[in-house]
Amino acid sequence: MNLKDDKLLCSSLPKKESSRSMRSLARMLRMTVIYMLLVLLALFLMGPFLWLLSVSLMPGRNIFSTPPAIFPTFINFDNYVQVWQFMNFPKYMLNTVIITVLGVVLNVVLASLTGYPLAVFRFKGKNLVFTLLIATMIIPSYTAFIVHYLTIQGLHLGNTYLGVVLPGAVSVFNIFLMRQTFIHIPTDVRDSGKMDGASEFRIWWQLVLPLVKPALAVISLLEAMSFWNSFLWPIVILNDTELYPLAAALTYLNGQFAYNFGWIAAGTMISVLPIIILFLFTQRYYMEGLAGAVKG
Amino acid sequence: MIKWLRSESFTAWAFMTPGLLLLAVFVFWPIIYSIPLALTDYSVISDTHFVGLNNFEAAFKDRNFLISIWNSLLYVLIVPFLQIFSILMAVLVNSRIPGIKIFRTTYYIPVVTSMVAVALIWSWLLGNNSVVNYLLIQIGLISKDIHWLSDSNLALYVLMFITMWKGLGYYMMLYLAGLQNIPQDLYEAARVDGASRWRLIVHITLPLLRPYVLFCTLISLMSAIRVFDEVYVLTKGGPGTATLTSSLYIFQKGMEQFNFGYASALGLIVGAMIAVLSIIVFRFNRKGGVNPY
Repeated sequence: MNLKDDKLLCSSLPKKESSRSMRSLARMLRMTVIYMLLVLLALFLMGPFLWLLSVSLMPGRNIFSTPPAIFPTFINFDNYVQVWQFMNFPKYMLNTVIITVLGVVLNVVLASLTGYPLAVFRFKGKNLVFTLLIATMIIPSYTAFIVHYLTIQGLHLGNTYLGVVLPGAVSVFNIFLMRQTFIHIPTDVRDSGKMDGASEFRIWWQLVLPLVKPALAVISLLEAMSFWNSFLWPIVILNDTELYPLAAALTYLNGQFAYNFGWIAAGTMISVLPIIILFLFTQRYYMEGLAGAVKG
Repeated sequence: MIKWLRSESFTAWAFMTPGLLLLAVFVFWPIIYSIPLALTDYSVISDTHFVGLNNFEAAFKDRNFLISIWNSLLYVLIVPFLQIFSILMAVLVNSRIPGIKIFRTTYYIPVVTSMVAVALIWSWLLGNNSVVNYLLIQIGLISKDIHWLSDSNLALYVLMFITMWKGLGYYMMLYLAGLQNIPQDLYEAARVDGASRWRLIVHITLPLLRPYVLFCTLISLMSAIRVFDEVYVLTKGGPGTATLTSSLYIFQKGMEQFNFGYASALGLIVGAMIAVLSIIVFRFNRKGGVNPY
């Protein structure tokens, strides 16, 4: 533990010279208080999920007995097996993966392509593009939903994944994030690439992009979350329920089997686990990139 | 011509074209197109007529719309709470003690989860004869079941609580990034000069956290006004109009009743409101180095 740093944030140490044991006692007390706060917060933020997990593992339909069951008396996986068979989960999972991957790839590629010249090139119209991008953040496109619907229908992309993904395929936020990251790349990188006769595209792809992995991770994770969890736009665009992603299918399941809590709980667990696992594996890069992104 | 093809200008535009094209279609076009749309009675069902400012006039006489605006404004009340609690959380998880990363991760899980799942969990937790009521009765805080989501005086605040619960981790992470970006030597130097802990917070931590506060306030303000998912999944605006927020109302008018012209007008009004509110926040934070990206 690094005393120097958290001294600031935590309760005070005795200022005057005091015995070693006094000091370590104060430290232990402070640690106990911090851990207690941390655990309480964890219960508050994780409790509902743990309860959902517990419900999904309860047999039968008597979850809403009196008094309500909080912990299962014995654990079984019937709900998972049954809902998996009933709902054709692999299909919805595949739909969600297709939508998410398509959305993430488009966002990463387009944001880093668009942000790159804005950061390192000198060209006519740079200010114009910049002003236009900023304008979209001041003027909120609140009615976008309706116009998007008309546009997607006009492009004959209704009932397709491309129609689901395209309106969210590029965002001003991501472009700015990438631009901000590219600005911090030393100019030597581009110059040395040029000396070796590489094209601008190759410099971007082979020299610059590997240096901005944390920012790419932030965009990927944020977009993966939003595409994985999207339900409303897919419902609006897709007529065929067979094409629904998980979150949309879940709303559907909830409407159909509102009485079968165990199934819905299991289905919900299945739908949230992949994204939580993805977060656990990428959180290191995510934290790093997030810090770099807001720094400005 | 060939010279231009080799210029930086050409390369720049070549890089940007795909992104800008999509932006034009899905960001600029909606903003532009919703203006003429708002001046018509466009709907899928009947012929379209130019109706001038009728939609706007109707909007200000539409009781439900005014209620929805009021509810959206009430929703903004969560912004200060959300920011204060997430700053405190960030300070807490900034301590360097064993296992702290596990806690950080734990706090972020509501953020990554879909609103559909979150709404489902909370609707069960808060339903009648449910866990929250049971626990509160057991510890003696309440004496009989509270109808959290079907009481029209409570429902909106319950939704606000759920929004806050889901968002805390997100802002905590941003503030944590901010705290970790403050160079430690600043504290060292101040401490050598004999500054008290309180002065360190007031003169170093808070000023350097300011751009983050501005950024987080702005995004939480905007998302509070446009709140949709939790309302749509949990209450659909009910009971009555108790939780009818502006985006839900616009959605109902547009995507459920296909009243595109009217919905566009409502969208423009709310959009203008958001613009004004963001400008106010910017004004308040002028000195805060407005560069959130």
